[in-house]
Order: sequence, then structure tokens, then C-alpha cells
Amino acid sequence: MIINIYLLSIIFSVIFLVIVVELVRKNKLSEKYSLLWILFGLAILLLSVSPVFIEKISTLINIKYAPSVLFVFGLLFLIVYSLQITIVLSKQSKRIIRLTQEITLIKGKIGEERVHNSGNNLVSREEQADNEVV
Amino acid sequence: MSAIGVRNSKILVIVPAFNEEKSISTVIRSLYESGHNVDLVVVDDGSYDATSKVAERSGVKVLKLPYNLGIGGAVQTGYLYAKENNYDIAIQLDGDGQHDPAYIGDLIAPLVKGRADMVIGSRYVKKTGYTSKLSRRIGMLFFSSLITLLTGNPIKDTTSGFRAVNRNILEYFADNYPSDYPEVDVLVRLHKKKFKVMEIPVEMKERQGGTSSITPIKSAYYMIKVSIVLLINSIRSGALS
Repeated sequence: MIINIYLLSIIFSVIFLVIVVELVRKNKLSEKYSLLWILFGLAILLLSVSPVFIEKISTLINIKYAPSVLFVFGLLFLIVYSLQITIVLSKQSKRIIRLTQEITLIKGKIGEERVHNSGNNLVSREEQADNEVV
Repeated sequence: MSAIGVRNSKILVIVPAFNEEKSISTVIRSLYESGHNVDLVVVDDGSYDATSKVAERSGVKVLKLPYNLGIGGAVQTGYLYAKENNYDIAIQLDGDGQHDPAYIGDLIAPLVKGRADMVIGSRYVKKTGYTSKLSRRIGMLFFSSLITLLTGNPIKDTTSGFRAVNRNILEYFADNYPSDYPEVDVLVRLHKKKFKVMEIPVEMKERQGGTSSITPIKSAYYMIKVSIVLLINSIRSGALS
């Protein structure tokens, strides 16, 4: 049983790493954000390969039930990473708002100029026509 | 009605509007009828109805946002416009017809005289015609106490969207305006920046059309969220954004 779950875990982490690398290769995940996932995948792989490793950590920090070490660190990782994601999200939403506002102002300005120049455009179009005739 | 120096100032009235096709033309008309020498820009915050068409037909400048940014983002668009077009004073006036443009003169007088950087048109400074529900009054009292505590300025109507600011604040708002709970939030920010804020009494009317964005169920949640934002802002240091 123990061997089975560790084997499963190895397979999972290898597939996970392959997917992450593939996403980066296909430009679907930027390098910047892939680093943490790759480290995460490697860590799981390491833990899956050697059960001794987890047991050593658990005795080191006084956790009686060794697999809880996984829960603790897994949970911590997820919390930290979601915080990181919301930081990125906040920055992006701020930028999107500013972009939207700038575009709206520019659109407003273009609308004004069109009203302003509509007379001039007619003249220049006529001049162009004249030039073409000549 | 106009104070000395008003004639030399370039004044912009920013009207944020979200689905206000029923009331926007009344707002625009009453603004022109009030006889103030001001420019007007309607910021259509991604309305689904004909708000911007109705406003454009009235011949005013309309900035149409491609989607709903929320009140903070919409108002800030107006401040950006005011900054780029070199206005000296900007006034916020809601598109739902609650705010009476007749008070614009009173609102800008303290700015022109240099007695304040921002003036808020308040329902509660003196007894005015405005009546509201008990739950709403409790909320208002709560924010008023919190703002008094945090800024030392006993502002009564902290959520009023009827306000006028001078060039300094206008420039500041163009770059720093909270998108989520702007009315109350900026009071703390402005206090930190040492701007002077004052209130004057105005009468507010019932909404002319559309529905209020604040429902009673949401208001408790709103109060908690805004309180947290305010407390964080009051301990924020350095550059605010």
C-alpha cells in the first residue's frame, strides 16, 4: 500500500512537471510564474522518491503523524501562492482601469476633432479630386 | 451667486451616470438653468440604456466607458479629463438628480476664497429637507464618527457624492482615486495629505429615476469593508495609490 501511494505520487509529480514545462514552452504560462510551480513539482517528486525524508522532517519539527508534514507545507504553499496571485491581480486590475480611462479620454478627443474637422475634410477631399483630375 | 474670482476660474462639473436615461436630461437642464458658468462632462459608466445618447442629444461632452468601472473609476475618468484640460475646479454631481445644481455657487465659494481644498455638499449640517431611513442614518452616523476619530474633522455626510475640489486635489485624484469605496475613503487620504476639507449644507432631492446602488442587506457588509479600508489607510505611509 505504502509503495503504491508513493509510486502514484511520483507519477503525479512527473506529469505535473511535464505539464508546467510544456505550458511555458507554449507561452501559456510566463517564466516568471512557472518558477514556483517547478520548485513545487520538484519538492513533491523529492518527497515521493524517499519516504525517509518526510519522516526526518516530521521528527525534526515534532510532528507525530508524518504525512501531516505534507498537509502543513502543502497548505502553506497554497496560501502564499494565492496571496501572490491576488497581488498580481490587483496590479493588473489597476492597470486595466487606467487603460480604460485613457482610451475613453482619447475616444472623446477623437470625437471632438471629427466634429471640428468635418468641414475641412470635405474641402480637402474636393482638392484631392481636383488633383486627380489634373 | 458667483463669488469674486469665479469668472477667472475654469470649472468642470463631472456627472457620473450609470443607467440614468430617465434623469440625466433633467440633471443637464437644471444645471444650465442654474446659470453657473461651468463646463459639463457626463461620464457614462458603461450604461446598458440610452444614457449617453440622451446626454449627447443635450449637446454636452460625454465620455463613454466601454464597460462598468464602478463609481470610483468613473469619477476618476472625469478628474483625468479635468486635469488634461486645465480646469481649476472640478465638481462631482450625481447623474440621478439627487443633487441640486443651484448649490454649485455655495460649493465653490470656499475654494475660490482659498478657505478649503474640498467642499462637500452635506445633507446633515443643518436641518434640510432630506429624510432617510433609520438603517441608513445609523450607517451615516457610524461613518461620521469613524471619520471624526481618524481625521479630527467632524464631517457629517461622509458618503455625499456632491463635492467640489480645487486644482491641487483634482490633480491628486487624477492619479490616486480609490476604485471601491471612494467617498469615505478619500476623506482619510486627503487628511493624510494635509488637504483642508469642509462641509456646507445643501438640500437633496429624492432620486429622479433608476435605483440606488446600495441595498439594505448589503449595507452591513459595506460598513465592515469600508471600516477596514479606512483603518488601513489611516496607518498607510508614504505614497498612496
